[in-house]
Amino acid sequence: MKVFKKFTATALTAIIVVTASFAGIAAAADSVKGKITVNGSTALLPLTLQAAKEFQKLHPKVKIAASGKGSVTGPQAVKKGIADIGACDWDASMDVPGFKAFDGQVANKVAVIPFATIVNKNVGVDSLTTEQLQGIFSGKTTNWKEVGGADADIVVITRAFGSGTRVNYQAKALAGGDITKKSKNYKETGSSGDMKTAVATTPNSIGYIDLVYVSGGDIKAVKFNGVAASTDNVINGSYKIWAYGYYMTKGQPTGVTKQFIEYVQSKKFQQGSLKKLKFIPIAAMK
Amino acid sequence: MGAPVHNLASRVKGSVTEVTADSKRHGRHLLSNTIFKYYFLFSILALCFVLGLVIIFIGKTALLLFGHISPADFFLSFNWTPEDEAFGAAAFIVNTLSLTAITLLIAVPISVGMAVLCAEIAPVWMKTFIRPVLDLLVGIPSIVYGYLGLTVLLPFLRQISGQSLGDGLLAAALVLALMVLPTICRISDDAIVSVPRKYRDAAYALGSTRLQVIVRVVLPAASRGIISAVILGMTRAVGETMAVVMVIGNTPQLAKTLFTPTSVLTSNIVMQISNVEFDSTWNYALHMMAFLLLIISFVLILIIRILGRKRRDAA
Repeated sequence: MKVFKKFTATALTAIIVVTASFAGIAAAADSVKGKITVNGSTALLPLTLQAAKEFQKLHPKVKIAASGKGSVTGPQAVKKGIADIGACDWDASMDVPGFKAFDGQVANKVAVIPFATIVNKNVGVDSLTTEQLQGIFSGKTTNWKEVGGADADIVVITRAFGSGTRVNYQAKALAGGDITKKSKNYKETGSSGDMKTAVATTPNSIGYIDLVYVSGGDIKAVKFNGVAASTDNVINGSYKIWAYGYYMTKGQPTGVTKQFIEYVQSKKFQQGSLKKLKFIPIAAMK
Repeated sequence: MGAPVHNLASRVKGSVTEVTADSKRHGRHLLSNTIFKYYFLFSILALCFVLGLVIIFIGKTALLLFGHISPADFFLSFNWTPEDEAFGAAAFIVNTLSLTAITLLIAVPISVGMAVLCAEIAPVWMKTFIRPVLDLLVGIPSIVYGYLGLTVLLPFLRQISGQSLGDGLLAAALVLALMVLPTICRISDDAIVSVPRKYRDAAYALGSTRLQVIVRVVLPAASRGIISAVILGMTRAVGETMAVVMVIGNTPQLAKTLFTPTSVLTSNIVMQISNVEFDSTWNYALHMMAFLLLIISFVLILIIRILGRKRRDAA
C-alpha cells in the first residue's frame, strides 16, 4: 500500500513537472510537439487535412492523423478516447433529432457550411418555400405540378439517417419536418458524391447537398423562400440553410490540440485556405 | 532419370562417403517435407483461427441485440425504423434471398451457355478471345459496375419501364448477374474442358447428335464443377455491397415489384453502420444482420452441395 502511495505521488509529481515544462516549452514557438487524432465528418475532412498540413509545417514535431467516416463517429471517437478531436456537422454537445447530446464535450466552431436544395436540370421549378419542401420530403406532395412545375412525379433523394448533411437540412430547410421512409419514388444515398450523381442522372429528382458540390450542368440549386443559395447570401443573413462545422473535444481543449484548433480558427487560416476550400469563415457570421 | 545411374555409380565405387551423402540427401528431403507439412498445417489452422474469430466477434456483438428486443421482433417484423426503436429485419432477409435468386436465374443459364460455347463449340480464335476478356471482367472493382449501373443501366430501365426511379431488385440483379457471369462461366468452362474425351467419343459412336452429347453427357459429367461455379457466383451475389448499394434505392421496405426501391442486408449495413452509435441497439441490430448474412451464405452453400451430391448419386 505504502509503495503504491509512493508510486502515485511520484507519478503525480512527474505529471505536474511534465505539464509545467510543457507549458513552458509551448511558450517557445518551435518546440511544440505532440500527437493529434481527428476523426468524424467527411464534409470537414478536406479542411482538417489542409489545416494539418499547414500546422505541421509550422511545428514539425507535431503529428496529426485525420480520417473521416460520418459526423456521429466524431464525438463517439472522442467519447471512447480514440480521437482527440471529433469533427461533426452539428453541435454534438446538444440534442439533435435522432442523436442525444454527448455529455462533457465542448463544441469548437471551425467553419460555416452552406447547404443547397438541388434538382435535376429537367425540373422547371426555380424556387421552393419551407412549406413546399416539407410537403415534398414528407411525401405529401408527390407531383411537380403541385409546386408550380410540370406534370411529373417527384423523385425524392435523401441521405441516410445520421448524415450530418441530413441533420442540418432537416433542421434548417424543413424546419424540423419529417423525411418520409417508404415510397415508390424515394431513395437514399450514402455520400455527397452519390447524391450528386443520383440527382444528375434521375429526371424529376430533388435532393440536397453541401453548396460546394453544386457545379456542372446536370443539377441546379433552387432558391429557398426566394433567396438564391450563395455564400454571399449566407453571409448577409438572407439564406438560412447553413450550419457551423464543429471540432468536438473532451472538455476544453488543452495543449497541442488547443493550439491546433486555435490555428484553424485563426484569421490567417479562415481567410486563406478555408475560403479557398469554399467554406465560409466563422467570423463572417454575426 | 539421373538418380539411378548415380546410385549405380556410387555402388560400383562402393565408397562409404557416397552412401552417407545419399542418406543425407534423403534426410534433407524428409526434413523439407516435414517442414512443408507443418507449414501448410499452420496456414490452414491460422485461416480457421481467423475465420473463427470473425464469427465469434460478430456473433458476440450480434447476440447482445436479443437483450434489447426479442428474436421474433427482429426476424418476423417488416418494420425497420431504427430511430423509433423498431428493428424488424424480415424485409431485408426476404429481399436478399430474392435478389440472389433473381441474379442466379439471369446469370446461370447465360454463363453456363457461354461456358459450353467456349469449351465445345467455338473455334479456337473465339476461345482465345473470350477467355481473357472474361478473366479481365473478374478483376474489375465492383464499385465500377455500380457506377455504370447508376449512370447507364438505371436511365435505360427508366425508359423501357416508364418508372420514374428505376432502382430496385431488377437493376441490382442485372448488375450482379454481369458481375458473377465471368466467375461462373470460367469455372464451368474449366469443368467442361476436363470431361474426358472418351465420354464424348463413346456418345458419338452410339450415334448421338452434338446437342445430345452436350446435354446428356458433358453437362452431367461436369455438373460438380458447374455447381462449385454457381456456389462461387452465388456467394459473391449474396455478399456484394458496393455495386448493389448504388442501384437498389436503399429504402427499407419489402420489394413487392422488381422496381420498388428497396434494401438488402449488405446495402443496409453499409449505409448505416458509420452513422450509428457504438453501444446502441441499432448497432447490435446491424451486427446481427451481418451475422445473419454469414449464416445465410453458409446455409445456401450447404443446400447446393447437398443438391449436387444427390444429383450425382442419381446419375
